[in-house]
Amino acid sequence: MANRTIPRLLQTPAVLLLLFWMIVPLAMTLFYSFIRYVLNSTVRPEWTTPSWSNWRGFGNYEFVMNSKDFILAIKNSLFIVGSILTLTVVLGVMIAVLINRSFPGRGVVRVLLISPFFVMPAVNAVLWINMLLDPVLGLQGIAISAINDMAAGMQDAPLVGWFFNLWPVLEPISFRATQTSAIAVIMMVTWQWTPFAVLIFMTSLQSEDQQQKEAAVLDGASRWSQFRFLTLPHLGRPMAIVVMIQAIFHLSLYAEIEIVSRGNGNKNLPYLIGEFTNNNIGAASATGIFAVILANIVAIFLLRAVGKTLME
Amino acid sequence: MGSIVLDKVQKKFGDVEVIPPLDLEINDGEFVVFVGPSGCGKSTLLRMIAGLEDLTAGKVNIDDKDVTEVSPAKRGLSMVFQSYALYPHMTVRKNIAFPMRMAKIPQDVQDAKIEAAAKSLNLADYLDRKPGQLSGGQRQRVAIGRAIVREPSAFLFDEPLSNLDAALRVGMRLEIMELHTKLKTTMIYVTHDQVEAMTMADKIVVLQAGVIEQVGSPLELYHTPRNKFVAGFIGSPKMNLIEGEEAAKHDATTIGIRPEHVSVSKTEGTWKGTVGVAEHLGSDTFIHVHNTGLDTGEGDLFTVRISGDIAVSHGDTVYLTPDMDQLHRFDAQGLRIA
Repeated sequence: MANRTIPRLLQTPAVLLLLFWMIVPLAMTLFYSFIRYVLNSTVRPEWTTPSWSNWRGFGNYEFVMNSKDFILAIKNSLFIVGSILTLTVVLGVMIAVLINRSFPGRGVVRVLLISPFFVMPAVNAVLWINMLLDPVLGLQGIAISAINDMAAGMQDAPLVGWFFNLWPVLEPISFRATQTSAIAVIMMVTWQWTPFAVLIFMTSLQSEDQQQKEAAVLDGASRWSQFRFLTLPHLGRPMAIVVMIQAIFHLSLYAEIEIVSRGNGNKNLPYLIGEFTNNNIGAASATGIFAVILANIVAIFLLRAVGKTLME
Repeated sequence: MGSIVLDKVQKKFGDVEVIPPLDLEINDGEFVVFVGPSGCGKSTLLRMIAGLEDLTAGKVNIDDKDVTEVSPAKRGLSMVFQSYALYPHMTVRKNIAFPMRMAKIPQDVQDAKIEAAAKSLNLADYLDRKPGQLSGGQRQRVAIGRAIVREPSAFLFDEPLSNLDAALRVGMRLEIMELHTKLKTTMIYVTHDQVEAMTMADKIVVLQAGVIEQVGSPLELYHTPRNKFVAGFIGSPKMNLIEGEEAAKHDATTIGIRPEHVSVSKTEGTWKGTVGVAEHLGSDTFIHVHNTGLDTGEGDLFTVRISGDIAVSHGDTVYLTPDMDQLHRFDAQGLRIA
């Protein structure tokens, strides 16, 4: 017994530190979520200090669930995360397979491919929404007005004029609008995170067994069959990693949503927490607990799904 | 059917000629072993037959048809790899079924063939396991099963036993030989292990640096090696090659005598030497003799193999008497003098 006590004693500080690191914030969030706690109130000044006497039970949770943006935030969280995961994995696999072959300048192409990942999220959002997606000044606006001008200019031309008369005048899309701001966020985050998926899939592809492929060639497998039955299952585990890590990051997206539309028509749970934090800490904490629950459900669901479909 | 004819096949990697133009004929139903030291091009040659490597020049004919430009899958050959190359995420059943699935063979035919293959290879209990849960020998049997179900015109084995331990290797060797007697299909087997070559082959092809040194039955190679390289490569322990004065006595540049064709005495004999290491195997004893005064090349080593045991130890003086009927003579080019 004695020779086990000392190692345990020596481990204790680290274990305790980790425990506090996790437990304290979680416990405080839980505590705040069950009491009335606001930052500023002239009517009820006693609510501005957290105390057991302000106990509200599940009142904060009820308040959050009844707030008009809650369902939107949950749906939007899932929509944004789901879309980004699908797009990054599909694009990631495609690009990784493409650049896994040898071609001149492969090293340069790989470095360039990785570079979006080094752009800061806020910078990424500002660049996309102002310089690329803006309906007037961005690349989108310029491109669409150029196409419209060209079509208009050709309408009087002999022979082909009738063809351009059939063209409708294209309308640029405003990505700050209620209906489209989530799409803008998905586009910019996908652009930023696809390199991450490519990087992981690429390293995995390089460890693929070449003799297995040769065996498959002899067995009569087409390129597609080789990809479907060898490469894709081989990528199963890295895909699970990409999906897990990205799910964690994208459930907490904030900067992009703030910059694109300030939450107009496009909120997720972190954004909702941010809005509540302006004054109502109790409601913000309750939303935080909802976010923890949602993250866990997503994690379990994704792991199962990815594991099952790919391992045959 | 499964006769394979190589017509002046040549392989270059860049400017390096790995296999100079080479001709070889393999008859239907033959068990042919390509043997040679590592890097001699034997695996490359096999992969060229399989279609996994392009030919720089020449033609490959299977059953009198030129298949040089035919894709590997359409050549009707099955290959078993050194690393087994099983598909790791598929069960044994799916692994074996894979070539049939690719050929879109009906499910009931597939099942029947899988059952038959599993039975003949003792895999019936493992069909629903994954390759990772099998031992090396079992994996190799799965690889063979996958090769059998395609009913190929020839099997190609690329060092299939190199990753197995010694005891399993002997067992698998027998299984492959039994398979050959049962199926009577052409088999081409690549190995660097001359024991495998000697025991399994109908015909051995000895390769060195991409050049065929000799083609023949195991005993032909043993008794009448065409040149010094084959003489030294076939047989274990290696043949003793003696040059200089002693060779000149027999009108040759080099003479060779196999260790088993030398008798040892403590009192009298043709040559005299001191014992170095004696390896006692029980059934045989290998004695390494030094200071024989013979020009045996670097290391001054003369190996003798006698059956049974003999009481010699390090430093003893022994006399060696070669069996003159079994003497091999080679000329200045290293070729055999008849």
